[in-house]
Amino acid sequence: MTRSVHPVEAYEPLEPYPPRTANLADILERILDKGVVIAGDIKIDLLDIELLTIRIRLFISSVDTARKAGIDWWETEPALSSRAAHDALYDENKRLRERLTELETSGHHRHDRQKETEQA
Amino acid sequence: MTETAGLTRPAAGAQTPPDGTAVCIFAVCHAQTAPDLDGLTGHPGGGPVRTLAAGPLTLIAQSVSAADFAPEACAERFSDPAALESCARAHHAVIAAVARGGPVVPLPLATLYLGPERATAAVAGRADRLLALLERLCHRAEWGLKVYPVRSTPPAADPPGPDSAPAADTGRAYLDRLRNRQQERERQHETAWRTAEHVYAALARQAAAARRLRPQDPALTGGSRRQVLNAALLLDHDREREFRDTVAALARDPAVAAHARIEVTGPWVPYSFARLDDEEQERPADAP
Repeated sequence: MTRSVHPVEAYEPLEPYPPRTANLADILERILDKGVVIAGDIKIDLLDIELLTIRIRLFISSVDTARKAGIDWWETEPALSSRAAHDALYDENKRLRERLTELETSGHHRHDRQKETEQA
Repeated sequence: MTETAGLTRPAAGAQTPPDGTAVCIFAVCHAQTAPDLDGLTGHPGGGPVRTLAAGPLTLIAQSVSAADFAPEACAERFSDPAALESCARAHHAVIAAVARGGPVVPLPLATLYLGPERATAAVAGRADRLLALLERLCHRAEWGLKVYPVRSTPPAADPPGPDSAPAADTGRAYLDRLRNRQQERERQHETAWRTAEHVYAALARQAAAARRLRPQDPALTGGSRRQVLNAALLLDHDREREFRDTVAALARDPAVAAHARIEVTGPWVPYSFARLDDEEQERPADAP
């Protein structure tokens, strides 16, 4: 990485709240689950704001939008997604099974070969 | 969330706004704050961004089509990166505009009510806590702090990649090299992480509050390396100069610069600190 160590580049003069040009991940991580939730009096399907906010997060993570936008933090959020962990376990399991089959197969081959030599 | 506890549900008949219109609330501010809402478009297709009075508080609101926020509509819109981005930026632009006029409590994206009365009632019911929160956020801004690991030059003993390995190279030497490289990476990450903790502690000491956020995906941040720290600090306006100086000093410090790159963003509307459930906020100033 050749970028110079120059941390103040993002430090604009004291003009308040400029991050109009802020990156999307910075904005989304703030507006999706930060700020006060004044929910409560509306507990109905489409206008339940807590659910709506969570739903938005799920929509975003349900497709590869999250990856395109560079946001995947909720994939590691246990409350929202046990899928990531599940996928990881699944993959691991699959890998191990494949490896096992491989080993078993080669083991059999060796065994068979040994038998053939003995018989010869 | 506990906010919902004990509140009565609306009558079943109230489930659909009569005229298909819902009210989107962006933020809450003091009644005496006069936000400049000129030129703000809010969510596309909605009415003008306007204020709603709620006793000592003002809501920043916009009438939107309820159908636009129905599950299918949301699914479609927020699955499209461009639409998601424009929605997020529209929301952010309104809140940032209000913040220029005074302290503001931002509400999450797509905070919808059936009508203006319901929105103002919901806010009025929590006026005391919202006023206390506005008080706390007054003359303060949020700053983003990110720390990235810096890849230090590999040790001389570590030859370049496997492609350029001499033909005589054995498999064992190759594996050794891989292992060394892996160990070196882990060591660098560990050092970067410790450096980030040092930076965080030093800067959080100047902040009224601090909290850690999840590291972001490198895809968007443009770098090839994952952040070792992503945090938000709530800073008094009159400590910004000091903060800036400390950031610069830390970045110049060879012990830091060798292992980590510091990135600061802001000032932000204090999104990360505008919560009613914030009593448990982290105060790393007291941390070891």
